[in-house]
Amino acid sequence: MLLKDWTKEMASLAYVVDALELLTSAGRRVLLAQQLTTNVSDLEREYDNVAVAVSVCKAADKRRHNEPDNAAQCECCDTPQHERKERGDGIGEAFVDLRHCLMELHDLHGTLQLLKSHTVLSEVDLFEVKRLAHINARARVAAAALGESLSSIMALPDLGEVFALLDPDGTGVAHFYIYDSYDSRLADLRKQLRATDDAAVKTDLMAQHDALQQQVMESLSAQLHPYSNSLMQSLERLAYTDILLAKAKLAIDWELVRPVLACDAATCYEQLWEPRLRHHNEQQGLRYQPIDVELRSGLTLVSGANMSGKTVMLKTVALAQLMAQHGFYVPAAKATVSPVAAVELCIGDGQDEMSGLSSFAWEIGRISHILSRSRSERLLILVDEPARTTNPVEGRAIVQALCTLLSQGHGLAVVTTHYSGIVVQCHRLRVRGFVEDMATVPLTPQSINRFIDYSLLEDSDTSVPQEALRIAALLGADSDLLAIANSQLGVG
Amino acid sequence: MPFVEAITKRRSLSIVGLEKNTGKTVCLNYILRRLDEMAKVSVSVTSIGVDGEQVDSVFATAKPEVRIYRGMRFVTSEGHYVGRRLLSCLVDVDSNRTAMGRLVTAEALSSGEVILSGPSSNIGLQRLLARERANGVGLTIVDGALSRLSLASPAVTEAMVLATGAAVSPSINELVRKTVFVKRLVDLPQPEPSLRNALSAESRRGLWAVDADGLPRDLGIQSALLINADTDLLRYGKTLYVGGAVSGTLLSRLSTLGRGIALVVDDFTKLFITPEALLSFERAGGRLFALQKSNLVALTVNPTSPQGYLLDSHRLCDALSEATGIPAYDVMKIERFGNHLT
Repeated sequence: MLLKDWTKEMASLAYVVDALELLTSAGRRVLLAQQLTTNVSDLEREYDNVAVAVSVCKAADKRRHNEPDNAAQCECCDTPQHERKERGDGIGEAFVDLRHCLMELHDLHGTLQLLKSHTVLSEVDLFEVKRLAHINARARVAAAALGESLSSIMALPDLGEVFALLDPDGTGVAHFYIYDSYDSRLADLRKQLRATDDAAVKTDLMAQHDALQQQVMESLSAQLHPYSNSLMQSLERLAYTDILLAKAKLAIDWELVRPVLACDAATCYEQLWEPRLRHHNEQQGLRYQPIDVELRSGLTLVSGANMSGKTVMLKTVALAQLMAQHGFYVPAAKATVSPVAAVELCIGDGQDEMSGLSSFAWEIGRISHILSRSRSERLLILVDEPARTTNPVEGRAIVQALCTLLSQGHGLAVVTTHYSGIVVQCHRLRVRGFVEDMATVPLTPQSINRFIDYSLLEDSDTSVPQEALRIAALLGADSDLLAIANSQLGVG
Repeated sequence: MPFVEAITKRRSLSIVGLEKNTGKTVCLNYILRRLDEMAKVSVSVTSIGVDGEQVDSVFATAKPEVRIYRGMRFVTSEGHYVGRRLLSCLVDVDSNRTAMGRLVTAEALSSGEVILSGPSSNIGLQRLLARERANGVGLTIVDGALSRLSLASPAVTEAMVLATGAAVSPSINELVRKTVFVKRLVDLPQPEPSLRNALSAESRRGLWAVDADGLPRDLGIQSALLINADTDLLRYGKTLYVGGAVSGTLLSRLSTLGRGIALVVDDFTKLFITPEALLSFERAGGRLFALQKSNLVALTVNPTSPQGYLLDSHRLCDALSEATGIPAYDVMKIERFGNHLT
């Protein structure tokens, strides 16, 4: 699954991607087309790169803030190119230059594909190629000023020969036309064109001129063809630089942490938090509680009352895993992540009346898919309250069977459930839930979160908390409903 | 020609035709030629919108090319750039694609003809004007269009030249009356700065009201044609704003709501109203404002209509100047006989 597909499935991941301050459309294209990275050394290298970018961003930012703010407001401040330029400071200035290079970058992936397939490029396309070579050269200079580490990560190719080819008069400027120097006959024709006022003569000359220009474009395209891979590399490396700087900026702004990778071991988070929810709560003046989670190899079975945040916990674990394996730092105070081949979710309700799919059918389909995959691959499997839409007798049997199979797998699985009496070799966690002395009734679904402790406790009991009626009462449920339900249970 | 002289002091100018065949392109070509001769200011030329129209669809005359002089910059679409009849050097290419390809900016290395295209939104046009200014261009000229189809408006330029003529009406009196009315609309006052900022902050469609705190409130009416007789349009206050075109129907409806109504529109190009409708709105105590305001610096006339009417050029120019207080010129005559005639 590509990152693009994950962002459609998970709003929390889309939130993270949207928060990235990408400057190029090429960066966005490359990022969204990324698969999960499973190779540990690739991931470690990516974290190393982010670490380098973080220190470069911090160094540039520090210089910027030490500067007195004496820059005049740019006249056309709606164009981002005219960001304030720091003076007299190598790093700050080089960083701004690099950002300008990225802002000016067009995604000419399609044009380069044409070049590669021996298509003759138009004048406008040649202009774009020349501009890419120009940006590449400027970015190389900026990167060198920002230090050897960043410069070797960026690994921009040398496109000097491409630029020279498109700048035969050596102007050094990123403007372009079919220069006279490309063909001696051009200068002659152009002289005649400028001299004549006769429309018929002019049309004739223009036709000759255009034919000659076409020949030059054919020849230039052929000469540029051997460089198509270098040009492609330049575009992709600049896009990667954009992604890297955006990841670093996010890591700094959100205080994300570099994950420690632990193969075939437990995944462990201290103070794990979900950015979208946390920011939403903070905006609303609501409290947000980060949680500590430890997921050992095999099965982790999580119980907890309604509204105690089990689903959010699952989604947050999925988010952190996906972020880590896409080379992001993660939202936690400390993170040890065990890389997996894939993340598989069975959360929510895939009911679709239009295709005749019931909640139960969707869930069984998902679970079957997950189980068959888990036999051959090491997965992170997150299943939220399986078999909750069917009768409790058979439902419990299904959960028991699922848990038995998952506990034998070699990946990491987390299952939340309200069913008691699931007997299986597993790690059990329970959400602490309602704090006893809180009850100022009635509560609303919005205010209830103040009285819940979302932390996870180690549990050895196979029975689950029976708090549904109590919570229903706190939420102001219909009194007749509560009375009858309680009498069914033999509670006064 | 004094009016071209005056134009060189402005940073942006649009040329707008009141009707088709009022000589807008003749006027634009005339101005560009004069600017080239005067050589006082660096010039960039663009247009509003990108349309593939090669031929005037009403009268089947060829879509005019504009003559660009050596050293001038121009903006057009990739499609029109390929068909240019001059030598030029590309200086910029826009990353956004239009129906006719990317918008390109080039500098003319020889004089010759090109079909112009340009940004189709106000924001795009304003950004282009700012960019050209930042690139050291003294004056950017926009080949404007009065069309309810275009989102970009020539009103974003500092100055405006209006081309009018026999195509508008074969009667001098009627032509003068219509032109005076357009001048009135161009000269509509702007609302006070705080209201202007509140309404310009984002683009809105449909009918809005401004509440007591100066905040725009959506009245939930997408088109003035959809207003029910029992809709209370004044529930937030008496200042209303329309994002989009305003018709005479809306104005007459507002005229019935009592005194003190202020109606704000984007700019004069969004008003499709008759002098009579405006008069009755104002008699009922209403006032009209425009967020964007340009300055009309000259009128040009084409005394010939496509149906073959020919008006007395001299009388027409005098009558227009007198009625509007703005100089009026018959550019075609000047081009034919030289400017000592005016």
